[in-house]
Amino acid sequence: MDLIRRNKKYIILGLFPALLFYLVLVIYPIGRSFYYGFFDWNGLSEPNFIGFENFKEIFTDPVFFLSLKNTMFIVVASVFGQLPIGLVIAVILSRKIKGARFFRSAFFMPMIMSTVVVGLLWSTILNSQVGIVNTILNNIGLEKFAHDWLGDPKYAMYTVSAVIIWQFIGFYMIIFLAALQNIPEEIMEAANIDGAGEVRKLFFITLPMMWDTIMAAVVLCIAGSMRSFDLVFVMTQGGPAHATELMATYMYNKTFSIYRYGYGSAVSLVICLISLGFIVASRVLMEKKNKA
Amino acid sequence: MENQNNKITHKSRSFISLQKLKKTPLYIMLGIFGFVALYPLVWMIYTSVKSNGDISISSFALPTKFHFENYSNAWETAKIGVYFFNSAFVSIISIVITILVGASAAFILSKFEFKLRKFVYTLFIVGMLIPLQSVLVPLFIQMRSLHLLDTEWSLILSYTAFGLPVTIFVLESFMRGFPDSIIEAAVMDGSSIPRLFFSIIIPMTRPAIATITILNFLNNWKEFSFALIFITSDDKKTLPLGLYNFLGAYTSDYAGLMAALVISSIPVVILYLVLQEQIINGMTAGAVKG
Repeated sequence: MDLIRRNKKYIILGLFPALLFYLVLVIYPIGRSFYYGFFDWNGLSEPNFIGFENFKEIFTDPVFFLSLKNTMFIVVASVFGQLPIGLVIAVILSRKIKGARFFRSAFFMPMIMSTVVVGLLWSTILNSQVGIVNTILNNIGLEKFAHDWLGDPKYAMYTVSAVIIWQFIGFYMIIFLAALQNIPEEIMEAANIDGAGEVRKLFFITLPMMWDTIMAAVVLCIAGSMRSFDLVFVMTQGGPAHATELMATYMYNKTFSIYRYGYGSAVSLVICLISLGFIVASRVLMEKKNKA
Repeated sequence: MENQNNKITHKSRSFISLQKLKKTPLYIMLGIFGFVALYPLVWMIYTSVKSNGDISISSFALPTKFHFENYSNAWETAKIGVYFFNSAFVSIISIVITILVGASAAFILSKFEFKLRKFVYTLFIVGMLIPLQSVLVPLFIQMRSLHLLDTEWSLILSYTAFGLPVTIFVLESFMRGFPDSIIEAAVMDGSSIPRLFFSIIIPMTRPAIATITILNFLNNWKEFSFALIFITSDDKKTLPLGLYNFLGAYTSDYAGLMAALVISSIPVVILYLVLQEQIINGMTAGAVKG
């Protein structure tokens, strides 16, 4: 019988289509881009081998460092924005609250919407002429706080991060809510009998018991926010004056608006390595902490 | 005894009212968070039926008259209808291919024995870690050499390839739970492996296939980056790309824009209202394990 489960014909037949897709559209292009990273190539003429020149240029371009800094800003803003707010909402919803189901659905709603829809909606809301944010500020006499939220380089990065946080809170709320529901009720009852207050219970029982989940969420949040591109691209395209330039918008602008495919390939490779480095590093750090 | 019982109920009653009182700040916080989460969406809906004149007078006010022509204008003039069907076509075809190709690979990986099994499985799973932007340029170059730029197939093939890792991950772990004797029994009955796959394995995997279908649909329907770099002709654009170009083409038609945003969100919102639990579980489970 084991012969059937080792039958080469079926194994190849079954795996071939998936492998074909994967090799042709994922693995091979990445390898090829590694190769083109060492060329000067506008996409039309013969590629011209230039060694490490592209990489040298990347690491001496102040705009690239700005984009790296902005990407890090989004990562930090996401970790310290999405996770705590998601956690607070999850803790509130886990207390037999009326309408908990409704709020749960409502908070998750932005997650299912397309980032382009979210980006365009918030661009309109924050628009300095017709946007409601400035309309409200003007009507309640806070004119001096009405800014050109996306057009002013001073505020654009904060604005963009706030919208990203708005979209993803629901995701972490659900993850934390699931972890909270896994905490055995007997523990809470025992704490109640011992006379522990709500705050003490939160910090000494609830949070330590869901620590693994919180760590997993941090890793997820870092990986997820390293990938932000769509939302920022739709709202600002990296502007004004590179104020919201991310590594991904930098790559897009360098490759598709000025046709430098060799350079774009090199940037892609650098992004891939930086992102994977971050994901691996955050995982290793979390695991070490878990063991300690 | 009775006295004691009374005491307890009395005590617990005051405890409950105290709890209720304690919950008031929680409700206030929840209300504020809820308002911030939902008001933008509510605003989008009611602004979509205002006229642009009304919006410029007060973007805050509720509509006084319903301008449903915003919807027909967006659908016809701004071509949202065309983009809508392109998105539906691309999403559905990619899902069908992803499920067929992914399920057969998952079946082999979960139930067959061969030397490279672990390697092939890892190869697919690593795909979940690759940041999408780092493959945009490589994939663009690849599509150009395949002469697929500016075709629906550039999107269908990429969505399939990038949907495979999570599809194989979910289906493989589901199929691994099936007893090995299924294969043996089917072969004893004289059924071929392909027949076993289509008539027994696929139907048994239905719950996992449902989850993965929803997940892939949401991803494909929302996808923007690939469409942005592959598609240039207006009549091949998907919804996210078409929406992105909306403001450039119809400057300051905010009412029309909101109508277009509502139209493009309707399918996912309906899906969400009907299949909420599956969607939430699918999106979070895939993420945590990955």
